[in-house]
Amino acid sequence: MPPVTAVKAVACHQPDQVLPVAELPGLAELTEGERETCARLGIDEVRADESLTSFDLALRAARQALAEARLTAAEVGALVLVDARVPETLMSSAATRLQAALGAERALTFSVGGLGCVSLTPALLTARGLLAADGDLDNVLVVHGSKPPTPLRYRHPVTVSGDGGAAAVLGRRGPVRVLDIVQETNGDHWDLFRVEYRDRPTARWREECRDIPQYSFRLAVESRIRLRELYERLLTRNHLTTEDISCHLSHNLSEGTFRFTEEALDVKISPTCADNLRRYGHLGPNDVLLNLRTELDRGGLAEGQRAVLLSASPVAAWSLLLVEAGEGATTHYL
Amino acid sequence: MDTPNGTGAADVASVTEELHAYLSGHLGRALGQDEDYFALGLVNSLFAIELVNFVEQRYGVEVTVDDLDLDHFRTLGRLRDFVLVKTAGRGAAA
Repeated sequence: MPPVTAVKAVACHQPDQVLPVAELPGLAELTEGERETCARLGIDEVRADESLTSFDLALRAARQALAEARLTAAEVGALVLVDARVPETLMSSAATRLQAALGAERALTFSVGGLGCVSLTPALLTARGLLAADGDLDNVLVVHGSKPPTPLRYRHPVTVSGDGGAAAVLGRRGPVRVLDIVQETNGDHWDLFRVEYRDRPTARWREECRDIPQYSFRLAVESRIRLRELYERLLTRNHLTTEDISCHLSHNLSEGTFRFTEEALDVKISPTCADNLRRYGHLGPNDVLLNLRTELDRGGLAEGQRAVLLSASPVAAWSLLLVEAGEGATTHYL
Repeated sequence: MDTPNGTGAADVASVTEELHAYLSGHLGRALGQDEDYFALGLVNSLFAIELVNFVEQRYGVEVTVDDLDLDHFRTLGRLRDFVLVKTAGRGAAA
């Protein structure tokens, strides 16, 4: 049987500064329709601290996760940084910068990404692969610092992005086991949303949708089809039914997205997600880690209970994670 | 489920009538056959899903990823043609 992949600790760092959505920068420049859409997302406020970079957020979350796992940086076997949406500098390595800042000198270090809000999944796939392939390696630290790429923070008609860091320590034993991971992508939508940045000041960067009708129709309907197929595959190959899943945790884009997912899969998304959406907005790949941590803190996942974590990205990537709480597992691990 | 059935000409008329009633009812205005309700900004993601659900359930067809060309869905006339193509070979839109 392949080694188990388990989550030893999850930590999230949110800046203290609160920015109400009604006070978002650039709101006055939007059309009335855009402002109405923004106000209906189900987001009251986000955390926003312009003095903290995505690297700062990642570092703080990483230190917190190590402390909660009771590990020193020297015990980190691998450090996997999920790339920031915008690098602070070109050519340099944020991953090895994080390695140095943590003092994780022994850690195998690199970054992954390329899938927008789904980029946590390649990091977890990497962690699982490393743990399975190298018996001497333990304690894979997965980290991401999430800041929106543009000053506006509102991505029409999708979401409002906040600031936040998240980190997870993965190993072979831990309070939450990762039972399975499925992921699909469709490259046809690789630039459905994008930020033009060359030859223009940062203040003029905007997250722009290449084709809103395509977003509203093709990606929405395709997401429904893909999520249904992925969900069915995930359950079938683990010999489970929907009744075996105690909790469904989504990424946090909008109230409408929660309803969309509930309708697509005929499941109920945990209220934890709407609570975090309201308080923190969208945190990119960190949403599902934040929701998992909150759900665990609230006691929403008891020993032996399973959860499915759902992520989707406008670059057309979809992934589902199947996890189980408690160390006394009865499930056969993949 | 009571689905349109009969000759080809009757199918075109009944499918057109049903789709017109559905779209007009949900989008809050009467639509011409060539009016692009996506370009008019009348459709959000949730309604797009509802529309595909309606087509699948009413006409007993499966909309697959390969069918997701917006041109099949952007006007009443094109949606009617899509339904007729998907149900062709069964003798009627049933």
